[in-house]
Amino acid sequence: MVEVAFFAGAIGAIGGAIAVVALRNPFYSVLALVVHLVFLAGIFLLLRAQFIAAAQIVVYAGAVMVIYVFVAAYVGGIEEPLFDSAPQLRVFGPVLAAALFIEISIAVLGSALIGLGGEGVADVPAGFGTPEAVGRLMLEDFLIAFEAASMLLLVAAVAAIVLAGRKKETGGAG
Amino acid sequence: MIAPLLGDTSFVDATWIMIVKSLLIFIVLLSIVPVVLLVERKLLGRFQQRYGPNRVGPYGALQPLADVGKLLSKQGFRPRGAVPFLYEIAPAISIFAAVITLAILPFGDVQGEVGLYGVDLPIGILYFFAFGAIGFYGLLLGGWASGSKYSFLGAMRSAAQLISYEIAMGLSLLGVVMMAGSLSLVDIVKAQGEIWFIVPQIVGFLIFMVAGFAETNRVPFDLPEADAELVAGYSTEYGGMRFGSYFFAEYMEILIISGIASTMFLGGWMGPGPSWLDPVWMLVKMLAVTAFFIWIRATLPRFRYDQLMSFGWKVLLPIATLNVLATAVLVVAT
Repeated sequence: MVEVAFFAGAIGAIGGAIAVVALRNPFYSVLALVVHLVFLAGIFLLLRAQFIAAAQIVVYAGAVMVIYVFVAAYVGGIEEPLFDSAPQLRVFGPVLAAALFIEISIAVLGSALIGLGGEGVADVPAGFGTPEAVGRLMLEDFLIAFEAASMLLLVAAVAAIVLAGRKKETGGAG
Repeated sequence: MIAPLLGDTSFVDATWIMIVKSLLIFIVLLSIVPVVLLVERKLLGRFQQRYGPNRVGPYGALQPLADVGKLLSKQGFRPRGAVPFLYEIAPAISIFAAVITLAILPFGDVQGEVGLYGVDLPIGILYFFAFGAIGFYGLLLGGWASGSKYSFLGAMRSAAQLISYEIAMGLSLLGVVMMAGSLSLVDIVKAQGEIWFIVPQIVGFLIFMVAGFAETNRVPFDLPEADAELVAGYSTEYGGMRFGSYFFAEYMEILIISGIASTMFLGGWMGPGPSWLDPVWMLVKMLAVTAFFIWIRATLPRFRYDQLMSFGWKVLLPIATLNVLATAVLVVAT
């Protein structure tokens, strides 16, 4: 049962991720990203991370992607890309992708594979992944990191408003 | 079987009980929807000094059956400009997201061997928000894939409306969650043994109801399907049972909002009488809130679009935030 759910989630997540970059129409790309996020939430559920799964759907599929869909639906519906990719990007893109792949490979090989020898969900401590557990981690054990991240987000939000406001004053397209 | 997915719930039933429960909840709530439809038309008629449906069956009681029969016998038509796959799947997403939320509505505590609810999740109310978010894609895809201006504008309006009111809705429930000290709907109902949360959280209740009207696209927030401007909004190009699905999902959504309001603020299954009456009390409360939805529909005119946006962001959101702040201070102080 769990294996079937895992492979369904994994195939959905990887398929969605490939579709995001493979599809030409930005609207379909965004939809593929939504599919990817939903299946990823399923994988989180299998890992007993219920709060993360719910947050994934509510925040990403629900809030962030709605705005993406909003924008893509207005400017999308076109088969051609909006602009040609710059020549520098064609060089830097693969280089950055390779760097990221190596980085993630190191992280996976270095730590996550230890879990393969374990008992899986059986040896997860009681209460793992519940909102209570996540709340304790964020607001007691890692409070400073949590607050630093929230300050960063606040600064980013204020900056976004300032930048958008400036464009309006100079009579830009908005 | 599904126990590993549920994690630490206080109580997990045997698999066959789960299946029976799911079927029971599904069938009962599914058969309530046509009744709500009929009651709505009857009540609207009375509100407007007319009879409402009264031709099909005694007192027009078979009207929903006749409507469904009509919708089912219609041709499955797709406009030329519509996007094939998305056009067909969009109503299904809507209905799926609406029905799946029924699983967390508690109709009673654990009685004997059986918990009178689908599942009692530790993430509780977040489940409702998660599937609310997915249900939105049903509307949006339907509007976008129809290949029609009216549908598209309706879908875009519903998108903007959803973003604006979902935050206020979440914050309005946060006060209840803090007072109960749990996200689980069953625990929240149990925490209302002394006093229903509508009394200390009256502000939260009002915000939740306003946001609930907006989320279900009901009058006075029915701009996504404003008939005078957008014909029928996102469902303009739909006919037959696909339109029926949207219609059904909308009413299911109303029942769910009513159920969540009853659970979070109106004491859920609690009521006088023996404990086997619990599910009845829950249903009575749900239907009372649903009747309130109908009452409002007959009473209020539609908002203008800019009014809707500025009300959501400039009035509802600050009040909801203040409510959460005040509740937090009170919970910590007492």
